[in-house]
Amino acid sequence: MILEDNSFILLQTILIPAAFSVVALVAGKRLKEKTGWVSFIVLLYSSILLGYVQLKLFLEPSFEALEASYTWLPDIGAFSLGNFTLRADGLSTPVALIITILCTVISIYSIKYMEHEHSLERYFALYLIYAAGMIGTVLVTNLAAFFVFFELMLIPSWALIGVWGTGLKERVAFKYFMFTEAGALSLLAGIVATGFIANTFNIFEISQGMEGIALGTQLAIVVAILLGLFVKMAIFPLHTWLPDAHAEAPTPISALLSPAMIGIGGYALIRIVYTGFPAVITAQTPQFMLILSFLALITMVYGGYMALAQDDIKRLLAYSSISQMGYMLFGIASVSTIGVLGAVLLYVSHGLAKAVLFMVSGVLIHEFKTRSIKELGGLGPKMPYTAVATLMGFLGLMGFPFIIGFWAELYIFTGSMYTALQGFSYLIEPNTIRILITSLAIIGSILTAGYGLWTVRRVFYGQPTEKTMYAKEGSAIMLAPIIVLAALALILGIYPGLVATGASKYISELLSSLIPIL
Amino acid sequence: MEPITPIIGIETLPAWLCWLFPLVGALFSPILAKIHPKVRDYGAVFFSFLSFLMAAMLIPLLFNIELLPKWEILPWIDLEGLPVLSKIEMGVLIDPLSIIMANVIAFISLLIMIYSLGYMKGDPSLTRYWFFMNFFIGSMILLVMSENLILTLFGWEGVGLCSYALIGFWYKDSKKDYIERWVGEPPEAYPPSHCGMKAFITTRIGDLSLLLGALIIVAFTGTLSYIGLLEEVQHLPHESMWILVPAAIFFFGGPIGKSAQLPLMEWLPDAMSGPTTVSALIHAATMVNAGVYLVGRIFPIIYVGSTVYPEMISFFYVIAWIGVLTAFVAGTQAMASNEIKKVLAYSTVSQLGYMMLALGVAGTTLEFALGYTAGVFHLMSHAVFKAALFLTAGAVIHAVESRFLHHMGGIRKEMPITFWCMSLTAFSLMGVPILFSGFWSKDMILESTLLAGQPLIFILAAVTVAITCFYSVRMIALTFLGKKSDRIHEMEDGGHHVHEAPKVMWIPYAILAAVTLAFGIGSIFPYNGIGIWLEHTFEGYLSKFIEIEHHLSPVSISATEAALPQELAVLMTIVSSLTMLLVGTWIAYRLYVKRTVDPEKLVGSRSALKSMWTFLFRRWYINAFFYKVFIYPTISISRWALKHIEESGIDKFNYVVADAVKSFCSRFRRTHTGVLNYNVIGMILGFILLIILMFVALVW
Repeated sequence: MILEDNSFILLQTILIPAAFSVVALVAGKRLKEKTGWVSFIVLLYSSILLGYVQLKLFLEPSFEALEASYTWLPDIGAFSLGNFTLRADGLSTPVALIITILCTVISIYSIKYMEHEHSLERYFALYLIYAAGMIGTVLVTNLAAFFVFFELMLIPSWALIGVWGTGLKERVAFKYFMFTEAGALSLLAGIVATGFIANTFNIFEISQGMEGIALGTQLAIVVAILLGLFVKMAIFPLHTWLPDAHAEAPTPISALLSPAMIGIGGYALIRIVYTGFPAVITAQTPQFMLILSFLALITMVYGGYMALAQDDIKRLLAYSSISQMGYMLFGIASVSTIGVLGAVLLYVSHGLAKAVLFMVSGVLIHEFKTRSIKELGGLGPKMPYTAVATLMGFLGLMGFPFIIGFWAELYIFTGSMYTALQGFSYLIEPNTIRILITSLAIIGSILTAGYGLWTVRRVFYGQPTEKTMYAKEGSAIMLAPIIVLAALALILGIYPGLVATGASKYISELLSSLIPIL
Repeated sequence: MEPITPIIGIETLPAWLCWLFPLVGALFSPILAKIHPKVRDYGAVFFSFLSFLMAAMLIPLLFNIELLPKWEILPWIDLEGLPVLSKIEMGVLIDPLSIIMANVIAFISLLIMIYSLGYMKGDPSLTRYWFFMNFFIGSMILLVMSENLILTLFGWEGVGLCSYALIGFWYKDSKKDYIERWVGEPPEAYPPSHCGMKAFITTRIGDLSLLLGALIIVAFTGTLSYIGLLEEVQHLPHESMWILVPAAIFFFGGPIGKSAQLPLMEWLPDAMSGPTTVSALIHAATMVNAGVYLVGRIFPIIYVGSTVYPEMISFFYVIAWIGVLTAFVAGTQAMASNEIKKVLAYSTVSQLGYMMLALGVAGTTLEFALGYTAGVFHLMSHAVFKAALFLTAGAVIHAVESRFLHHMGGIRKEMPITFWCMSLTAFSLMGVPILFSGFWSKDMILESTLLAGQPLIFILAAVTVAITCFYSVRMIALTFLGKKSDRIHEMEDGGHHVHEAPKVMWIPYAILAAVTLAFGIGSIFPYNGIGIWLEHTFEGYLSKFIEIEHHLSPVSISATEAALPQELAVLMTIVSSLTMLLVGTWIAYRLYVKRTVDPEKLVGSRSALKSMWTFLFRRWYINAFFYKVFIYPTISISRWALKHIEESGIDKFNYVVADAVKSFCSRFRRTHTGVLNYNVIGMILGFILLIILMFVALVW
């Protein structure tokens, strides 16, 4: 059952944050850092709306999606961009909900973290637009509108890094912008080609329009789209913008860039390519998804290795994000309901865990004015809440039970192993190379445990250093968001059904739609 | 097989509560700490007492095995449209194995929690201590009670986390604490936090291997419920069963890591840097048994599988050989260790090897019940006596404030109760006949190797008996007998006197020593001793699932033909184990009790002995090997790759492209001079180019 969005729920979740950015700009001059509360309330409203949809998906088995369609641009002759369509279903709702939740709690975190910064009204205005851009990218199902939102999340984040960042912030922001923009242009090429060949911009109509089109053409379009998405996801070797951007961004923004934004690339891969190009997903010559699996394996191992070598705590987390995106891509490339479900769960788990970790790094930076792990140590007894949150964050990344990360990795690897051994319908045969790749990926995930526990040990165990001698726990307003997210990761870890129920239903239908009806 | 239906009712309630109580108790620790530290301490012990009560309520079921297995499942995860793992239930499984395990765990935990009241008194971080101890007990019982592998994994990783957190409990890693709280001697001396991490990562490697095996299994069978797998494994298509052989062996990686078997054994000796209570509970009596338990849990599944697909039997050979090699290697390492807890840790590894080998040989023969029972029986008796040994060692460490054997000696008079408890339990470890549980369980293991027709394994296992006796006697002699060490003299000069442990500490280990005696005496009766009764129980229970007459595995039949007749096997076992006992004890007695030859001079006098001693002292270089081949290279590769691939490779390339564009633009910019003459020339050239192009296009 697909419901019409008569009460404008979906439109509100995007437009209200965007509209309030103007309010923030005007009122923020007087409110200063307290503008954060405005942003908090606005985004909390969005979270509640999406939380309602998610709850409905969980509780009502017959409910499938909430859809909205609006006319936006007039047709030019025979050329039409189609309607502006929004859709909250089992796939997009959890992703969008995590984004709004992160944006909500991080706006509180920003209040304290950014207190001594200048022109905070602009910070929060950009913050709200950035949030609206991310939510819009996830909810929208028109490719042209998708591109608009894709750019809308780039520009504010570029400004946020360039103005409030640290170090060589202008240079880093420029690098970030150029990389993502280059990717976005490739994405645009793919979208335009899709529009002309399939004669539609609606994601759900592409597959019909692509029927009868040669596999080579479809592959070329998909590669163009994927280039754009892979830059966003920071898949090896397109990842070099990410460590710079995440390290130099103001920490609240790092805590959004990494957990919320880059994963949208993976989400879009499921949304666009799985839905629109079934022939490419199940292609046998070349085995496109197997190549992606291999790429994912390299990304996750390479990211893990790089994280192991870092001394800068934010760069370490940044490389860890690259590694986690490898996991996500691995799940997506498994061509199985289980693996794709795992990828969605990984988005959720990585979102929560990495936001916790980046916020923890922010607490450390705020207290000790350093990002170097060498200068920290012995903090466990002095900052117990921070220590527990950090441990939980890293345990989440390494797939520890009791935390949602366990289910994510369990499903990702099961999915890939299942396809390797049983194949997918009659389209994909069991494959020995895939068995090998999956085995390597499982064994390779020891790296996550390695860099995680090593970091915990270097920061929280041992003797205090000069800097940490007189350390005390961070302020409550910074710890509260961390604890909320950590608790959420724990709740979802014990009962993942809250997210997985709706997602699995949608994904299993999506996967069965890959099989052509003869 | 009889149809089995899930039973839901009040009688299964203890099976849930026995792990829920400690988990809830863990959450209560920080809350109770706000009221009063004493309330917190006794509250924590109270929750473990509740768990003990609940586990004990399951015991009557052991006498009605026709009612077993009982299981109760609650819906947990129910996802539509997944080919596998779409339904995961939260369930408990009550069968002889889980009842015995839960009781061993709950009983020993309770005693160790009481002991902790004395041992950990005055520690500033007791809230953390009680939290993780109770969380551990809950996770451990959850591990053994759960009905499917997913829930088992929750307990499995939960105990791993507690182990990590409690090994590194004394997080300060201060050099001041070297004598008491570190582990090892240079060049292999490690602070607690290092050891915690080492333990977690090493076992994690095993867990990933387990996960790999489990995923292959689930992709084929579609279930991870133990009961479900038992049914499923008989109906699998024959042509795809080959993959279950590597899957089962990968699966065994988990037990290898958790139970510290070769090659992942080196974390356990280093785990001794935790508080002694932790070593006793987690790294001797309970958690390290989880691997043995899991093998026991999947034993019927693989065994039934091998009746359908004979190659599956190689799984059992792998287990048996890894077990016996571990028993031998770890035993020899214990002979050369200078720390009391490390001797016990190596000994634990060695004894775990015995249990593994018993389960392994059991799978290769039709008489599976003997080996299976021997493994479980040894697990029980080892848990009791090794926990007691650790607790007595803790009392000694408390008294002399050092972990080194050469800081002890001559304190028998001062600590008589501790001395006797340690000696009695060490006799059990050595397998001193008749009165001690270790004798019965170890002999059962040796006998089962003979009955399975594995003479090589038997010989190695028997030699290990001599080794066990050697290091046990050496440890007791160095701890309690002989002259007082310089350190004790110094302490006495400073007014500190070594004295007996307080009641709250010695009563728990005295109880454990009594239990090991009770097990030993209870096994004497030839027809209804504990060992025999266990064997009947397991035989009766397992034969519900394993139909012997359908067992067509050619490998196991040939193995059975090579086996000895039972009377001969029993005789050989007793003779050889007694001989080995006497040999090992006699050598150690001469060297360390009588001191007819000074062992240090003896080692120093011969270069062959010296290098052998170094080889054992450096742990066969296994530990050094892992650091040299895996740990350090991984870190240096990552640093190298960061510098050469990431920074001056991929990222450099980006900047090269950017610079190339920039320099091209800046050169091209020079042509934009604004001088009219140049512009006119440019225009003319442009026109000419256009004309040529048009010309070419027209002609072509």
